[in-house]
Amino acid sequence: MDFTNISRRALGRMAGSLAVAGIPLYSAAGSTAQDIVKQMQERLGGDWPATGLDGFKAGKPETAVRGIVTTAMATMEVLQQASKAGHNLIVTHEPTFFGSRDGAAPPAGRGAAPAGQVAAPSGQAAPPVAGAAAPAAQAAAPAARGGGGGFGGGGLAADDPVLKAKREFIEKNNIVVFRLRDHWQARKENDRVVGLADSLGWSKHLVPGETMMFDIPSATAEETVALVRKKLNLHGGLRAVGDPKAKVRRVMLYPGMMTPDIMLKYFGQVDLLLAGEVREWECTTYAGDMNSAGEKRTLVTIGRVASEDPGMRVCATWLKTFVKGVPVEWISAGDPFWRQS
Amino acid sequence: MTARDVVEVFRKNFGVAWPDNDRSRRDTFKVGDPDTVVTGIASTWLCMFDVIKRAHAAGLNMIITHEDTFWNDPDDVSNLADNALYKIKTEYCKKNGIVVWRNHDHQHARRPDQVVVGELKKVGIIDEDTPMNPGVRVIPETTLAELVAAIEKNTGAKAMRVVGDPKLKVTRVAVGPGYAYPRRTADVDVVIGGEAQESDGAYDDTSYVRDAVTLGIPKAQILLGHGVSEEPGAEELVKWLRGYITEVPIQFVPAGEPFWT
Repeated sequence: MDFTNISRRALGRMAGSLAVAGIPLYSAAGSTAQDIVKQMQERLGGDWPATGLDGFKAGKPETAVRGIVTTAMATMEVLQQASKAGHNLIVTHEPTFFGSRDGAAPPAGRGAAPAGQVAAPSGQAAPPVAGAAAPAAQAAAPAARGGGGGFGGGGLAADDPVLKAKREFIEKNNIVVFRLRDHWQARKENDRVVGLADSLGWSKHLVPGETMMFDIPSATAEETVALVRKKLNLHGGLRAVGDPKAKVRRVMLYPGMMTPDIMLKYFGQVDLLLAGEVREWECTTYAGDMNSAGEKRTLVTIGRVASEDPGMRVCATWLKTFVKGVPVEWISAGDPFWRQS
Repeated sequence: MTARDVVEVFRKNFGVAWPDNDRSRRDTFKVGDPDTVVTGIASTWLCMFDVIKRAHAAGLNMIITHEDTFWNDPDDVSNLADNALYKIKTEYCKKNGIVVWRNHDHQHARRPDQVVVGELKKVGIIDEDTPMNPGVRVIPETTLAELVAAIEKNTGAKAMRVVGDPKLKVTRVAVGPGYAYPRRTADVDVVIGGEAQESDGAYDDTSYVRDAVTLGIPKAQILLGHGVSEEPGAEELVKWLRGYITEVPIQFVPAGEPFWT
């Protein structure tokens, strides 16, 4: 459909069909953060329990919204840019306050699974947590796998200088932060992969019938990595395992955290698997062993936030389809790492 | 001497609690028959296929590994029956009479932790007055960039990841091995660890440091890589074991840094 040339009748049909579905178009001018979130929640569906990861993390929901920013992570830098542009509702995929629980009190019972691993509604990214249920005797060992009590907030003191300054900035600039993770991942549109493929220029190479597989123009692994680095503006976060000279044609994209079950299921089917992050003693080892067994396949991890960035650009595009009257903008959170060599 | 006898040497002499009904799900035999007669012992941090091959080539048939063999922390193989790589790896071991035993929890439980000792020596942050335990250490003032360069030189690591201002002056450091460790405390300038979940974990140090940098608060994070941080521990284990076993050769077989960038 050519969106630049839609007849008034066609537009009427579209609006009508949306209205029939019970989701009228509306103007967000003068809306509060709560109003806009309600619109999002209606379209995303599902349950929104108070114990879930998605929800308001800072600011007052009744704040009048001047502009919306979507981002992979509400870093200080993103908040500053948003504020400078006059936007005050931040929709973030990752936590704001340095832990999956965003500084909230831990759920009942120590030793519960780290909240970051709570099953997504779709079950798409529900990594089993090795170590979360570590025998108590091992909890004191350094490599207790960071499961801990799932406190979030880094277990930071309320007067921690970083935590305090960030909260103060948010308050002073009348910012509201809403986290959108589980419900965004649950969308059947698979926006995170769509966004990443788009950023890499690979959308047109999607393998028919597949959602994560792309047959890209043949190149070596190191050429593909160079392209990924350039297109995503990566700094020090990217790491690869395998033979740099290996030929690459079929690529799988897996933004976010990839667990061994995904790795073992798909790695043997592709030349290169590009993920956000993995655990070194699990997926990285599998990639190394695959190469030791003579199969030249490459694992590339680009960093969790960098891999989720493009998906949140898609989120901004999606918001614009029903939020009218206030600006919506995506701000890249980007790769946090640098490397010396 | 059988592989079982070797484990018995640890049990008797390693100096950590080792109940008869040891319920550690990590420190068990992973591959092979414990009653296999040992021709030589390979110590490694990670039982990669390539490590097994090099151990075999060196005539060593017992591998003591700090981390897993089958790509998940508890070495759960219940879903691997149809996995081609699992078959290749296990059949290679069977054909060549390889036995794999893991020493993870006990190695960390030792005081000082062998893995920490190895890491501190390798990284080059040793203060003779401080016990070789994890904790905050004071080093002569340097910049983050200089510290990173020194660590790269000492470890040979190529894929370290750093967050923080390269010009940041650092003097108080916390060093630890493995995953999500050590945990930052308020008095630390830079945390030097192996690997950590970037975000959405129990505590997200990468995000914390990132925001600290934006706010002008002097903090930094260095991620060495899990292997870079723990591999020297496997070398420490060799030194220890040679004090108890002289009948068979004992060698350090490194897994090496797996990454290119």
